[in-house]
Amino acid sequence: MPQATVKEPDAKNTADYKPIHQRNAFQRWWKQIDIQLMVWPGAILIFVFAYIPMYGVLTGFMDYNIFTGARIFDNPWVGFKHFEAFFSAPQFVTIMRNTLAISLMKFFIGFPAPIILALMLNEIRGRFFKRTVQTITYLPYFMSWVIVGSMVMSLLSTENGSVNMLLQGVGAIDEPINFLSMREYFWGILVTTNVWKDIGFNSIIYLAAISGVNPSLYEAAEIDGATRFKQMYLITIPTIMPIIIIFMILQMGSLLNAGFEDILILAQNPSLRPVSDVIDTYVFRVGLQNQRYDYGVAVGLFRAVVSIVLLTMANYLARRSGNSLW
Amino acid sequence: MITAVFLLATVLAGCSKSAEGPQTDPAPTSPNSQKEGTEKTGEENPSDVWEFGSSELEFSAFTHYSWQDFPEKMEDAPLWKYLKENKKVNIKSILASGNNDQLMATMMADNKLPDLIYAERNHNDIQRLYKAGKLVPLDDYMEKYPNLKKWLNPKAADLLRAPDGKLYQFPNYYATIPNGSSAYVINKKIYKELGSPKLETIDDLYNYLVKVKENYGSEIVPFDPERAQDAQGIGLLYGGFKENAYYRSFNANTIAVVDDANNKLSSLFTDPTFRESQKFVSKLYREKLINQDMFTTDRGQIQERVINGKVAVFAGASPLAYASQGNAELSKEDPDAGYFVTWPFYKEGLDKNKIYTGGYDQLGWNVNVITTDAKEPEKIFAFLDWLTGPEGMAVQYFGPEGGYWEGFNENQEPIFTDAYDPVKVAQIESDNDAVIIAGNSSYIDPVKVKREMDKPFEERGWMTRYQESITWKTHIDHTALGTNLVPEAGTELADISVNVVDIFQQALSASATAKSDADVDKILDKAEQDAVALGYNELLEWRTQQWLKNKELLGQ
Repeated sequence: MPQATVKEPDAKNTADYKPIHQRNAFQRWWKQIDIQLMVWPGAILIFVFAYIPMYGVLTGFMDYNIFTGARIFDNPWVGFKHFEAFFSAPQFVTIMRNTLAISLMKFFIGFPAPIILALMLNEIRGRFFKRTVQTITYLPYFMSWVIVGSMVMSLLSTENGSVNMLLQGVGAIDEPINFLSMREYFWGILVTTNVWKDIGFNSIIYLAAISGVNPSLYEAAEIDGATRFKQMYLITIPTIMPIIIIFMILQMGSLLNAGFEDILILAQNPSLRPVSDVIDTYVFRVGLQNQRYDYGVAVGLFRAVVSIVLLTMANYLARRSGNSLW
Repeated sequence: MITAVFLLATVLAGCSKSAEGPQTDPAPTSPNSQKEGTEKTGEENPSDVWEFGSSELEFSAFTHYSWQDFPEKMEDAPLWKYLKENKKVNIKSILASGNNDQLMATMMADNKLPDLIYAERNHNDIQRLYKAGKLVPLDDYMEKYPNLKKWLNPKAADLLRAPDGKLYQFPNYYATIPNGSSAYVINKKIYKELGSPKLETIDDLYNYLVKVKENYGSEIVPFDPERAQDAQGIGLLYGGFKENAYYRSFNANTIAVVDDANNKLSSLFTDPTFRESQKFVSKLYREKLINQDMFTTDRGQIQERVINGKVAVFAGASPLAYASQGNAELSKEDPDAGYFVTWPFYKEGLDKNKIYTGGYDQLGWNVNVITTDAKEPEKIFAFLDWLTGPEGMAVQYFGPEGGYWEGFNENQEPIFTDAYDPVKVAQIESDNDAVIIAGNSSYIDPVKVKREMDKPFEERGWMTRYQESITWKTHIDHTALGTNLVPEAGTELADISVNVVDIFQQALSASATAKSDADVDKILDKAEQDAVALGYNELLEWRTQQWLKNKELLGQ
């Protein structure tokens, strides 16, 4: 923080003038009432919709009867019963493995992909071509998973699916491959579809950051004889690094969010469940469809706690580079 | 995300509760006192039967399904329009728009229930409402009003009763005569082009599919099963390998086969018939005679193939709607093209009259319950009772009196007028689809086909023709296997049931696409082992007890 120097009051000023840090809290608050008024609606909204509902997580430690409604303290406490049930559930190992594997793959492939796209787009000189590519790549972001899912399904279908026809046409395979029923392909299909869907939209933020780089840096580098690749490596990337790190920290926090709709829609075949069942799909099936709300809350809470730990760890590491969230 | 939904439900409940103030805090005893109140009035004036339509009736109603809602406005369904204009009824729909589970949970937590809920029979939520004392018993009303009492088999009614011996659920599509539409549909044109071979046994079917594949290549899907994930299309084949086999065995709330010799329910995974049929299915899969995408394909794609004639044999639990559409389309251009329904395929040596492609339930499938929030539960019952009687049924299926029908004959069947138009009548039925909630199959099914049956076979409507001659004869009564086999949510048995369904769905798909017959055995052995480790035997034991109770009540 740059130290603000406080000027000595002018002799002309009235006697009641005091520098800001000498006034009491209320005076300081009143002084900025216009700004406060702008903040409060947002703060109240967050408090009502994000903080008050939080007491509902207590149902994860109870045997919750839905008819008690919001009077949750009428329910008996059962301690960690639901957590223990989750940890000893037969699906636990599979679910955790899938959740981690899918989200790590999404992280290591899905996170750098838009950065690479943004860097590549930045190197394109033709304005029209650049705009076209940008528009086409971010269009899929606005389609719902239902539409994307049925597109993927008909592309990969064995009965006259385009991909199989293409592979057969070039002689890569003899028989159509049943892509959406084979466990070994599922993660690949899921991650590819995700990257395809989100890459364009996520690259916008990096493109914006890149456009903020001071052009004189490039000019100086060019005079020094740096190649285009070197300019990218030594100027563009270091300049947008703070943005990359902040997004990476946020991404780490949602590491246990392996996805929900995409999996629900792409993994129609029940025999894929050993590779497709993740925390969210499990909570949906057991918590909501089988009406075990307390259990669902417990599993959700477990995930939230792990996420907070990951986020804090990532932030701690990032603080060393000087680009942390807090 | 999902946690957020749970939390939001609690919060919404919290908000409205605090607005009401603490004095309206619903004590758990209040529903009972209300119940007693209505019962008392019933006792005091046993003869004061409210005549439906004699005074205003307004109530709220909710469809507890994700794929259907009640109409938003009374004008949106012909029946409801009629009710509004002629019977002084105003129904306020509560729309779930697909989020029925969430909405129901919110309403329960909020303690603001719809007056009438239309849901799956024995749905966990109905059990829960019953346990919390939120449902109105219907027994006294049933005695007072004529129709349900007359048409519902009293034994079946006993089966529908709650543990306290009272009736809370008003059934939809209950029946004493077989019904259903599971069937194999054959592409007529391909069948003729291949020389109309004999198509009766499972072997005939196999040879036919081989021929289709040889002659049409990848143009045509030889065997297309509908909703294989739910065991629909391939469950039909199971019924062909054993006399009196129950397709119901595959239902997520059953997952058991009837062991007649020991009078108990036993494991599906070790059932030799199931293994035999799965080996047959996997053989079809390996030889590319069955849709290779059967576990991922959606119904829209199947409909498209059927309408375009790209299927040789189409099998499903309700294939007739698509097939009749396809038949109409295809026969427009070529009178020889189209579809016909064939008698179920059976393993050589079995009695073909004991082969069933599906089952029917004397209690139908959905139910209506009236909650204690209803101000006039008796009037709502009277409404349902009118719906299920001859007049209500006739209006639902044939429109208002004076149009396509006028008065009733001595059998209480509507007398059709000359204006009767089969196409328009079919339209009325399909427009009323979402509001037929108290269907009386025993009454309406024969009435519906009566007009058609007077005509020669070839001139009858496509669907009626095959329902009457085939599908109604190839459905077995599975009432005892379909009732009260769902363990209460939150109990250990319910957890076991969820896990067993998981295992079953995976094993079904894996064994149907297995690489060899030995693999089928291996997959099912593994499934049995996993299921038993998770408590499948206890579940089977409990289901056996329930099933025996059902059989006793039904006198079977």
